[in-house]
Amino acid sequence: MAESDQFNGRLGLIFASIGAAIGTGNIWRFPRMVGANGGGTFLIPWLIFLFAWSIPLVIAEYAMGKRSRTGTIGTFRIFAGRRFAWMGLWTAWISTAIGFYYAVVSGWTLKYFQLGITGALNGEKVDTTEVWNAFLQSSGQVIFFQFVVILLVLGTIWKGAKAIEKVNFYLMISLFVLLFLTLFLSLWMDLSDGSLDGALFMFTVDFDMLFEPEVWINGLSQSAWSCSAGMGMCITYAVYMRKDEDTVLNAFTMGLANNSISIIAGLAVLSAIFAVNPDPLATVTGGSSAITFLALPEVFAQAPGGTIGPLIMTAMFFLALSFAALTSMISTVELCVRNFVDHGYDRERSVLITGLAIFIFGIPSAVMWIKFDSAGVAFPEFLEVQDHIWGYGLMFSGLFIAFSIWKYGYIKWRAAVEEGTAAPGFAGYLGLGVSAFRDDFINTGDNDLEVGRWWDILIYIFFPILFFVLMASYFSDMIANTPNVWDPSNPKGLTIILLFWGVVAALFIGLNKKLIERPLYRNVPEGADADISELPGGEDELIGQVGDVIAGFEHLTASVEAELTD
Amino acid sequence: MTSAAPVALRSSAPRPTLGFLIVLPLLLSFAAPVAENAYAQEPVTGDAPEDIWSDDYINMIFPWAPAGDDILQFKQYHTYDTLKTRMMRLAEDNPDIFAFHEGMNGGTNARGEEVTANAYEGWYYGHSSPWMKITADVQDGDYNPFVGDTGNYPDRHDVMIVGNHHAREWMSYTVPMMQLEVIAFSYNNIGYDNDGDGQVDEDTWGDSNGDGQLDDDGDCLALSAEFQDSNGDGTACGPGDLGVDEDYSEQWITDLVNSREIYLIPMLNVDGNIYDRDVYMPGQCPGEEAWDCSAAGWRKNLRDNTVTGVTPLPDLDEEVDEGCDGVDLNRNYQFEWGAPLGATGPLVPGACYAGQNNDVYNGPVDTVDQDGDNRFNEDHVDGKDDDGDGLTDEDWLGGNSEPETKFIQDMTEMNDDTGDGSSEFKSTLTHHSFSELILWPWGHCTDCESPDHVQLRYHGQMMADMTQYANLQSSSLYPTSGDFCDWHYGVHGSYCYTSEIGTAFHQRPEDIDHIAVRNLGLGFYIAEIADNPRERADLEIANISQQNYLKEPTMIDIPEEGDIPVELCVSNQFPYSAKDTEVQWRQVKPSRMQSDFGPREWSTTPWESTGVEMIEGGCPLAAGNGTLLRAMLPVSETAVGQVHYKATVSTLGGADLYQYPADGDYYVLEVSYRAAFGSVFGAFFTFTLVATFVWGGLAVALRIMLGDDGEDDKVYEEDLRNTQVEVGNLSED
Repeated sequence: MAESDQFNGRLGLIFASIGAAIGTGNIWRFPRMVGANGGGTFLIPWLIFLFAWSIPLVIAEYAMGKRSRTGTIGTFRIFAGRRFAWMGLWTAWISTAIGFYYAVVSGWTLKYFQLGITGALNGEKVDTTEVWNAFLQSSGQVIFFQFVVILLVLGTIWKGAKAIEKVNFYLMISLFVLLFLTLFLSLWMDLSDGSLDGALFMFTVDFDMLFEPEVWINGLSQSAWSCSAGMGMCITYAVYMRKDEDTVLNAFTMGLANNSISIIAGLAVLSAIFAVNPDPLATVTGGSSAITFLALPEVFAQAPGGTIGPLIMTAMFFLALSFAALTSMISTVELCVRNFVDHGYDRERSVLITGLAIFIFGIPSAVMWIKFDSAGVAFPEFLEVQDHIWGYGLMFSGLFIAFSIWKYGYIKWRAAVEEGTAAPGFAGYLGLGVSAFRDDFINTGDNDLEVGRWWDILIYIFFPILFFVLMASYFSDMIANTPNVWDPSNPKGLTIILLFWGVVAALFIGLNKKLIERPLYRNVPEGADADISELPGGEDELIGQVGDVIAGFEHLTASVEAELTD
Repeated sequence: MTSAAPVALRSSAPRPTLGFLIVLPLLLSFAAPVAENAYAQEPVTGDAPEDIWSDDYINMIFPWAPAGDDILQFKQYHTYDTLKTRMMRLAEDNPDIFAFHEGMNGGTNARGEEVTANAYEGWYYGHSSPWMKITADVQDGDYNPFVGDTGNYPDRHDVMIVGNHHAREWMSYTVPMMQLEVIAFSYNNIGYDNDGDGQVDEDTWGDSNGDGQLDDDGDCLALSAEFQDSNGDGTACGPGDLGVDEDYSEQWITDLVNSREIYLIPMLNVDGNIYDRDVYMPGQCPGEEAWDCSAAGWRKNLRDNTVTGVTPLPDLDEEVDEGCDGVDLNRNYQFEWGAPLGATGPLVPGACYAGQNNDVYNGPVDTVDQDGDNRFNEDHVDGKDDDGDGLTDEDWLGGNSEPETKFIQDMTEMNDDTGDGSSEFKSTLTHHSFSELILWPWGHCTDCESPDHVQLRYHGQMMADMTQYANLQSSSLYPTSGDFCDWHYGVHGSYCYTSEIGTAFHQRPEDIDHIAVRNLGLGFYIAEIADNPRERADLEIANISQQNYLKEPTMIDIPEEGDIPVELCVSNQFPYSAKDTEVQWRQVKPSRMQSDFGPREWSTTPWESTGVEMIEGGCPLAAGNGTLLRAMLPVSETAVGQVHYKATVSTLGGADLYQYPADGDYYVLEVSYRAAFGSVFGAFFTFTLVATFVWGGLAVALRIMLGDDGEDDKVYEEDLRNTQVEVGNLSED
């Protein structure tokens, strides 16, 4: 390898981050959220929360990762202190647990690309429900495509940051192009009946609906999920940043790019559905996978251009979807792998172990509990339950990040008070403590943009409020709409979620001791020096840089060093 | 999706231009006269009366008397004398079914009082009320020494029909007199063709064939329009019109006479009636006929209420003090006596305001210690043990002070054919005038309902349908205390109805015949239900409730905008309460928080209730017409998914709730998005905003990133600030 693990230029990091952020959520979840939440009405909270939630969190993640220069576990060990390394483990686990079934879902998209390119979705007599049901029920096929996805991902991250950068770059560019082409065809279809219904709907604000709390909650959750804010992805990719990287600008670019893709995908999907569906709202308010795999192939089959038009459109759309899924999958695996590498495992072995784990633990999601809903559409209930359990676990990762920020501010202020350089009392805390993280890690002088007081307000005040609102609404909705919600044997109930969270959290807190007995190797290439001595975990003797020999763990250095040989 | 087509139409409909909108009213003004012509009446076609019926029938010449006999032809009123003479004559001519009586013999009554026959004689003129005992083989059967009648059979149901509580209400004794004539003429005269059209028994009272028309054989409806409202009341082929309910079954009447004991008391208040006719009205309008006189007439009996007066005393020499004398007989019954409510006061018992004719004076306070416990009036007649001594209603406050009301009370309480100690009258009817109403208990309390409210309402509706009168709980008109029906129902559980006949106290002579015909069916209906009115009502209500229906989803037209109308059709005979009848509905919407990978999830809203309102035009039922009730469900135009709906039809008072389509079941209506998908202007504005924000922001960010020009930063910051301001404006709108 030519050089250490570091992204070459700004675009490399940006494309990797965008790849992480852009996933199936942009392409199949976003159009449905727009449909269910009043069209253009939804765009308002969705945009506001981009700036009030997603971007501030991504800024924080970048700042933390760039300073700690380790994956999530190391970052929390350094930023929150030795006792809190488990928070990083939680973050890594949630991401990986999602990865178990996300690989399966990515496999579906690949399968549908294959179906699309072979024209199997566009025949006159094709019943998309039958195609879907047949596919989901054939375990071999589902596992095969899941396996292919994992192979592709492993191949990409085998070699580290450089390869990730390159693959993401090409996939993202292709995704843009494919989506734009799909959008063009969709608009053409919609316009051919005389009006751009889909576009009108997507951009018309219903002011009555604007005051419905649910619309705002959905806007927040879409923004939080879609950007991967708080998932630890940006911590991971920041590890490969150069020292002078502009974290703020990157965060804005990534967030805005993510939302741009959402708009394009939303417009493409809605226009196509509105063009041919007599009751489009009934379709777009339905379940997400139903839109993507049942409605859209039907809609695309009616694209103009004889047999070629529908074929191209279907293939392009699902190829774009596969790319979106793949890039997200890459970041998921990388997040996990990075944590292994940080703790002295060599990259190839980590990649293999992670890939194998994701494959094996993904198999139940691929094949177990394939059920049929009342409309006769198959769905993988085990997968759904996994999503149900781990999806909202993400929220805690975000909360842990905020916690680290709050803690750093407090410690910094206490230390300053002891030194006599800061005023005690609340005013002093406001003056120094609250802005400490921002002053020390965000506005480092490398940024074109200075982050102002607004960021503190968002992180200290809005973040906990929104966190609480999101959790409360999720749980109250679940309690209201789930039968036997407290029954522990109900896989969709609340008890099982709390149980899983509790068990995992307890296990990780218990594991914390083991974690901090391990050495931690920070990825600090030439010119990327980042001082951590003032941080809560900064004095840890077991934290070194890649290439360091840490006392008692001499046997590990060799393997880590191997990755850095130039 | 029922409304898929309209949505698709609207979305692709061309937008009217401004110019078109300006010209539109002009265009419409051309269309207006055309539209009017389209609604022009159909040309007059149809039969004339003489094409169908006999001349006698057309001219209302009744078969029981010569054409010139105005009184017996109901072209003129009976007087007391002609009424009594006619009753005696009918009894003489029909001795097998009629027995004429005046008053009763007396003896020891049901309360242990010794009563003589003269206790029932009017204070002033001294006549007892004439009455007819009507039943088959009236001379046989058991003899009741107190009442003085034979023809008492334990297996025949007794029914009491009373007219003329109030002296001036002349139609109220005329209707029972016509009933008497009809019974006499019809008994065993099977197959008589009343209207001379060659058919027999083709149109009995009410809507017997369930087509929503009283005119069951359609002969009135076949007339040309000008003849259809022969009684001139404004209703074509309504009750009282030629050809409506004109040919009842003589067999049915015969059967009733054979299976019932009818106690027909056409003129209860003889004193008052004579006074009204001979003294009061001539005094008010000398030389004029009563119906031409603006005075209302004499209402009460002729009790002497003057303080100096010696009461009771049949004193023909003493002038009636019109400002003071008399008791309102229909306020003198004992149940809840003397507790006037609302419109009936002021009524301090025994008080008499000189010069103030207290038309609703309910009689003096009782002065007797009925139970001999040295306490007076401690347990009022109300069905409760007021003093807690274990006896109920044993020492009453007052009421039953008049010969006429004593007569009714004793006749009721001494008529115990079965020997079980209770009165036999399960149904009772009292005729009054006027207001075109059918009234039933309670009368003494407002906002109250009797235990038999629903059933009483049901039979009331049946009679109201027959007469096209309004069906009301008595106190809904105005509260009364001590009236005939509250007493009959409250004390003896009899289903008791008050008919308020016609439109005047002294109805004009030319209106006597058709108003009497219009009300003729009431006395027969009350006789028919005398076997078990409650069970009859229960069975019929349950049966009718089967006819009611809630419109199915396929019958529901989802409008392009606004609330969704859900209609139900309720039988006219079904005693529904509009207040408590409602449509319950809920929405099943696609959940906003769909699982990304699972099945489609639905969220179900709680059931909501929407009230109904009556819609003109009725609706078809399996049998005839029904009342159309509509609930407007406020389902949002943006709603997608299903609306579940069901209806609860409440009987009056909510005693019984009927669920439609069935208990615990509901209909599922698919609804699609009805609102506009968006506006071009709004969409363009929002698109510009979002595009500027997201794509513009992204472009600026990329430009800064790719160039190292520090000045770009400021541009970016400015952009950001500007766009944020725009968002602020938007959310304030």
